[in-house]
This record gives sequence, C-alpha cells and structure tokens, in this order.
Amino acid sequence: MRSLTLLTALALATLASLVAVVGATAQEGKVVLTVGLTQDLDTPNVTAGELVSSYELFTLQYASPTDLAAEDFSTVPGLAESWEVSDDGLTVTYTLREGLRWSDDTPLTAEDIAYTINRARDEEWLNYTSTVANLSAEARDERTLVVTTKVPDPRLPGLPLYVVPKHIWEKVPADEVSNYPALDGVGSGPFTLAEWKKGQFWRMVANPNFWRGRVAIDEVVFRVFRNADAMVAALRSGEIDAAHNVPAAAFPDLENEEGIVAVQGEQGGFDYLVLNSYDGRPPRDTSKFDAPHPALTDLRFRQAIAHAIDKETLVERVLNGIGTPGTTMSPSANPAWIPELSEEETYDFDLDRARQILDEAGYVDSDGNGLREYEGEDIVLRYALRSESETSKPYAEFITGWLEQIGIGTRFSTYDDGQLLEVAGKGDFDLYVWGWTPFVDPDPMLSYFTCDQIAVDASDFTNYYNDAGFCDPTYDELYEQQNRELDPERRREIVHDMLRRFYASASYIVLATSPDLQAYRTDRFTGWVRQPAETGPVLFSNSSPSYWNLTPIEGADDGGDGLATGGIVAIVVAVVLAAALAGWIVLRRRTAEERE
Amino acid sequence: MTARLVAGKVLGALGTLAFVVVFNFFLFRVVESNPVATLYRGRNLTDAQREELTRQFGLDGSKLEQFWRYMEQTLQLNFGRSYATNQPVIDEIWAATPQTLALVGTSTVLAMAIGLAMGVVAGWRRGTAHDRVLTGISIVTWSTPEFWLGMLLLTVFAVDLGLFPTGGISDPSGPDGGLGELLDQAHHMALPCLTLTIAYLGEYALIMRSSIIDVAREDYLTLARAKGLRDAQVRDRHALRNALLPSTTLIALSFGFVLSGAITVETVFSWPGLGLLTYESLRGPDLPMLQGLFLLFSAAVIVFNLAAELLYPYLDPRVRAR
Repeated sequence: MRSLTLLTALALATLASLVAVVGATAQEGKVVLTVGLTQDLDTPNVTAGELVSSYELFTLQYASPTDLAAEDFSTVPGLAESWEVSDDGLTVTYTLREGLRWSDDTPLTAEDIAYTINRARDEEWLNYTSTVANLSAEARDERTLVVTTKVPDPRLPGLPLYVVPKHIWEKVPADEVSNYPALDGVGSGPFTLAEWKKGQFWRMVANPNFWRGRVAIDEVVFRVFRNADAMVAALRSGEIDAAHNVPAAAFPDLENEEGIVAVQGEQGGFDYLVLNSYDGRPPRDTSKFDAPHPALTDLRFRQAIAHAIDKETLVERVLNGIGTPGTTMSPSANPAWIPELSEEETYDFDLDRARQILDEAGYVDSDGNGLREYEGEDIVLRYALRSESETSKPYAEFITGWLEQIGIGTRFSTYDDGQLLEVAGKGDFDLYVWGWTPFVDPDPMLSYFTCDQIAVDASDFTNYYNDAGFCDPTYDELYEQQNRELDPERRREIVHDMLRRFYASASYIVLATSPDLQAYRTDRFTGWVRQPAETGPVLFSNSSPSYWNLTPIEGADDGGDGLATGGIVAIVVAVVLAAALAGWIVLRRRTAEERE
Repeated sequence: MTARLVAGKVLGALGTLAFVVVFNFFLFRVVESNPVATLYRGRNLTDAQREELTRQFGLDGSKLEQFWRYMEQTLQLNFGRSYATNQPVIDEIWAATPQTLALVGTSTVLAMAIGLAMGVVAGWRRGTAHDRVLTGISIVTWSTPEFWLGMLLLTVFAVDLGLFPTGGISDPSGPDGGLGELLDQAHHMALPCLTLTIAYLGEYALIMRSSIIDVAREDYLTLARAKGLRDAQVRDRHALRNALLPSTTLIALSFGFVLSGAITVETVFSWPGLGLLTYESLRGPDLPMLQGLFLLFSAAVIVFNLAAELLYPYLDPRVRAR
C-alpha cells in the first residue's frame, strides 16, 4: 500500500513539475505567421490533393503564369509579364519575367510550363484536366511560351495553373504520379513546404526566389485543430494569428472581440433547395429510375413553393444571421456573374400568392384535411435529409412548416452524403437542401444543369450533377454560346440570361450564401487582403494574396510568451498540489495509527 | 495448466480473430458508399479517370472478388490504401500508434495507481468520511463524459490560465530533438493525460473498494490481527493481495482498450493518435482505414483477454487446481 501511495505521489509530482519546467524556447527572431484550420492536408501532391487545405498549400508553393487579381479575379500578370492573343483567339504567346528561378535556384523557364501543360493533358492529371484538356504548349525559348487551344476558350489568356518543376517531376513515372508524396519542397510561389507532421501541422518557409521578391514573413505554420472550439481559444490567447473555418456558434463572439477581426468570406458558395422536376423528356430508361411527384413537373406548382420560402427567416434563424438571402444560382466566386433580378422576376415570400397559384392551377383540398390533392390523392412530397449537415434538419423544419401552410405535405428520409448522391442520381426524392461552392470561372457550375447532366446510365447514378432534372434546350444552347464567347461583356450577358431562365424554372431555390468564416488578430500583422474586395475571405481565397502582402507590426511581441507568467502560476500550482498530497498522506497515517 | 488447455485457449483466440477479419469486411459494406462520387462531387471527371479512381479504391469487380482480394491482402498485413490520403493504411496506423500508447498508456497506469489506492482506502474504512468522499469522487468522475471534462480542463488551464497549449503534440516552432522536444511533448500531453486519468480512475476505485469489502470479512484477516499485526500490515499483506485478483481481469482488459480508448479526448485536444484517426475516418467514411483500425483494436482486446486468462492461474492457485 505504501508503495502504491508513493507511486501515486511520484506520478502526480511529475505531472505537476512538467508544467513548471517547460517554457517556450526563443524563436530566434523568426517572423512566423500561424494559421489555425480544422483540416489536415490529404497530400502535398499537386496533381492529386483534393481538400481545401491542400489547395492553399498549392497556391502558396506554385506560382501561376497569370494571376487572379485580388479585387475581382481578373487576369493579371504572374510568372508571365505580358502576352499576345492571336486574331482567332486560339493562340496566346506569353513572355515570362526575366531571371525566374525555382526555390532551389534552378532556372524556371517556359519549358517548365509547357512540360506541365502537355504532360498533365496526356496523363489526365486529376487537378489539371479542366484547365489543360484542350491546350497544347510549346517553349519557343527560355522566356517565350506559346499556348494553343483546340476550341475557343473564354478563359484565355488567363492561365491559372500550378506549374510544377520539370527537373523534379520528370523523375516521377506516369503510373506513380498520383501517389508521389511530393515532399520535395521545390516551388515558385511565396512559400514552399519545409515540414509536414501529419495530423498536427505543416510548415512553409519563404521562397527567396519568389517573383514578387522575398516576402516579409519567414515562415507560415498551418496548425490543424480537430476541435474548432480549441482553435477559437488559441486565436483568443494569441497562440495562432488567424483561423479558418471558425464554427458558426463562436463567430458572433469573435465579431465583438477587440483585437480580432471576424470575416464572412463570400466566395459564391450557397445552400439550395432542389425541386426534382424531371419530366421524362431526355433519353432516360424511366423504368430504371424513380420519378418525382408529378405535380413537381408543373411549373405553377414549383412557383408556388418558391413563393413559400422565406429566405430572410432562414438566414436569421437557421444560419444565425451568417450569410445573405439567395437569389439566382451563383456560378462563380466572383459576384459579378450574378444578374440583378427585377421585382417581377423575383419569387418573393408570399404565402397568399402561393395559395392563389395552387388554387388557380387546380390543386385544391377537397376533403378538408389540410392537404391539397393531385388526381384525388393528398400531395405528400419526399424530403431527403442529410445526416452529415447540421443545418439540414432546421432548414427542413422551417421549409416543411411553410409548405404545410400552403397545403403541401412532406415525408422525411435521412441519408449520408454518399447515399444522397445515389438517391439524387436515381431521382428517388422530391426535395432536399444541399450546397455548392463554385470555381472562379462560371463554366463548371453552369454545365451541371444542361440536359446531358441528367442521369441516364442506370449502372452509375452518381456521374451526373443535374439533381433538379432541369432540362431546357435554350439553356443548353446558351451554355454552348458562353463556352465559345471570347468577349467578356457578351459572355457575361449570356450567363446572366442562363441564370434568369434557371431561376424562373423554380427548380433550384437558392436559400442563402454560405460564407467561409475566418478571423484574424490585428496585433502582429497588417496587410490582410480580401478576395474579392470587400466581400471575400482573407485566406483560402483562390489566389490568397494576404500571405505575400502581410507585414509584421513593429514592436509586436512574438506571441507564445504567456508562458513566463504561466510558468510562475504553474510552480504555485505544483507546490500547492504537493502540499495537499503530503498533508493527505500525513493525515492518513495519523488516522491509521489512531485505529491501531 | 496443461499445454492442451493453453493450446485450446490460443486456438480460441485465433478463431475469434479470424471471425473478426471476415466480419469486418461485411460490417463496412453495410453502408453502400461510393467514395469516388463523394470525394469528387462537382468535378467533371473523364470516364478513364473515374475508372482509374475506382480501381485505386479497390472497388472494381464483384463483391466476391473484392472479398478475396481483401482476405489475400489482410493475410499479408496489407490493409489497402486510405480513401482520404491514398497512403497505405498500415503506415498511417503505425504513425499514429506511439502517440496513443504514450497518452492512453500513461493515463491508464496513473488511473490504476490512483484509483486502486483510493479503492483500498475507501473499502478498508467502509462507511467513514474517507469512504464517502472517495466513493463520491469515483462515481462523479466515472460518470463525467470525457470530452466534456476535456473541454472544461482546456478552457480553464489552456485558455483562462494559459498554462498549457490548446492542443496538438508539439510546438511547431519549439525545440527540435533532445530533452527540449520531449519536455515540449510532455507539456502538450499533460491536459489530455489528466483528463483521461480522472475519467478512468473511478472504475478502478469502485472495483477495488468492493473487492476489499469482500475480503474484509474473511477469517484469515481476523487471524492476522490476532497475530498482533498492525492494521496497515493486515491490509497490505493480507487483504490487498487477495482483493487484487478481480482487478487483474479489469487491468488486462484495460490494456486491451488502450489503443482504441481515447477517441473523444484525442479529438478534443487534437492529439494525433489512433482515436483521432478513427474519428476522422468515420467522417469519410474511409472504409479501408476503419477496417484496419477495427482489426487492430479487436486484436488488442483478444490478445489481452488471452493474456488475462493465461495469467490468472498463476496469480490464483485455486483456479489452477480446478
């Protein structure tokens, strides 16, 4: 027994003394920016990384021939200082900056870029195909790059491309490209990867050869928190300088905290309510698929639902005021692609109007049970819930409440995201709420709602994205047009037209924007940049200009020296603990003796 | 114990393990999931890319083919590649194991030492103030959810007092190598370790208390006292030894659960061990990773169970005799 007590005492003392002994070691005067996030890298391999965290690494490590402007994503010079477009728009000749070098001092030439484009296209590198599928490139000399496209491409001369160092990647054979661990740390962006401790952090060091010149920060450390509340705590205590993916519940408090700026970074992400309105038109073997409730194929029925959704209330009550009420589908991180809707075009929240539309269309409640009927049967829609989304249930409660008020019933089933993709492809639902985050170019988002994105292959439902079953030949025609239109203004008008048509169909009701929630401290660095201007995030913003724009504030402390006072408190705690323990043992012994 | 009995027990354990291996495959296929579709939603992949990804994930071919491939690989200790990181599952698991052994192992040993001591004192002085306080503490800590306790300690000691870091295992710009790094890691481990120790000790204390109470009425204790031994000697030499027997099973089982024991606490403190790996894999779901982890966890429990069974006869001759 005595040995057991001793062991306990020893263990407690060790634990307590640890607190006292450890202090932060000096940072050797290095300027370190620490960013907290809730997601580790999946891989630092630029051809295969999928996660947002990995994309931030790629953006920092690999400079691009052309850059995206901080204010509006327009094309600005990057590795290339200028370019010329041929009259037919199919060939662009880029001139690179002088004296470009990789971080390991190897010269960076037009050959590196041509190599990246051609190899990525031939080997169909996952993260590159959407950019390079139709391109071919040739290095005319060290600084001249000629890029040719097979089809007119409105994205050119913009060439946002993570250029990989040829002298590193040519050693990686084709069948190993996607598994290459990519810890080489050779890049051309402001920072390159120095260390990755899986599940803990990754550290990037300033690239002395960055084409804008070496940045003012020596290191960026990305610290992975699995507990978002602990991340917020670390931001408050100064352990980290900025945080990405702040939990919505903590956001309002951070907004009110002095010395911290909380940012709702809009990047085009949105939540939508989809109405399955597939009417059986495109070539689909309907026997192998499910069909929506027939009333949903009636435009008037959908319009009534659109009038029954109060987006303001959803933002206020479901999203705690974070986000803004939605209008049309948002195809891009750049808000300029979203058209202004006139008052007549807008489906405003008006339950009376909704009821009136349903009455006029002949959906009436003839048996007085509160539900309208379709061909003698009560209308009850199948509403799919997402088990993986915290907002799915509260959204559903409001939405089904309003539907009930206009005489439409609902029935829930719950799915995880993998299952819901199948259900969506199969058409085995009437309604659900999900979200999208678009790219910078509007083309991919627009492509999801063409007729050929309605699932037809019954052996694989998940290869399609048109969950609304929306099919409008005019939309498809306009889609082809915008895909070839080289004049930016005209292209924007076409896209606006498409979005108006899509909105009018009431197949896809955009509920609210879903901003990135971020926060940063103002005491150590200045120069945070929002992309796009005023509305966007400061980090994880497509080209993330903050990192090379930040400068340390003169005289600001290095952070992390709270341990000096902490150490003193710790010693006090240790002493108190030891005293308490000693007292307990003495007391115990005395009572034991009394018993004897 | 005869060699035959030992062989029987070992074979039984192996049989259980084989069942787990087979069951694992079907368990994780109850949920139909298409990782290619989930991971690449919104990416217009070419058909060739989709096929290649499906092949990489080992999802091509029929269920039976997949099953054979799974059995073949598992027997070679190859658990496939993680859906999430595309790295071999076995590598990821080995990388996370030391952290969990350090954290949960230390907490288990601490909780045992403190908990058993508490149980002895409480049981020996049954009905006294000591007993009521210690039993009260045991019941409260035992029924406290670990993650809640973790958040509480984190808020008080890391945020308000600033004594400990808010999570992770080391300071990214801290010392590298040597004693400095070790101390830095211990500093990071203190809070999660304290959480687990508090969470675990109640169970040991309560079991030890009831064992002590059981033996306290035995005749041999009366005899020992009659011999004129001091109270502490009676307790330590005679009562404690016999009362330790039921705890042995508990201790062996606890070591079996060391690997899988700290999912919520590792998550609260961003401690990159097996528990956190499990939590992350469940969110995917990353089936190959979960398969690997469950196999490892089951194997650990089976092995320590076997160890307890084999060890028990040596600790208690009565079992041997039977």
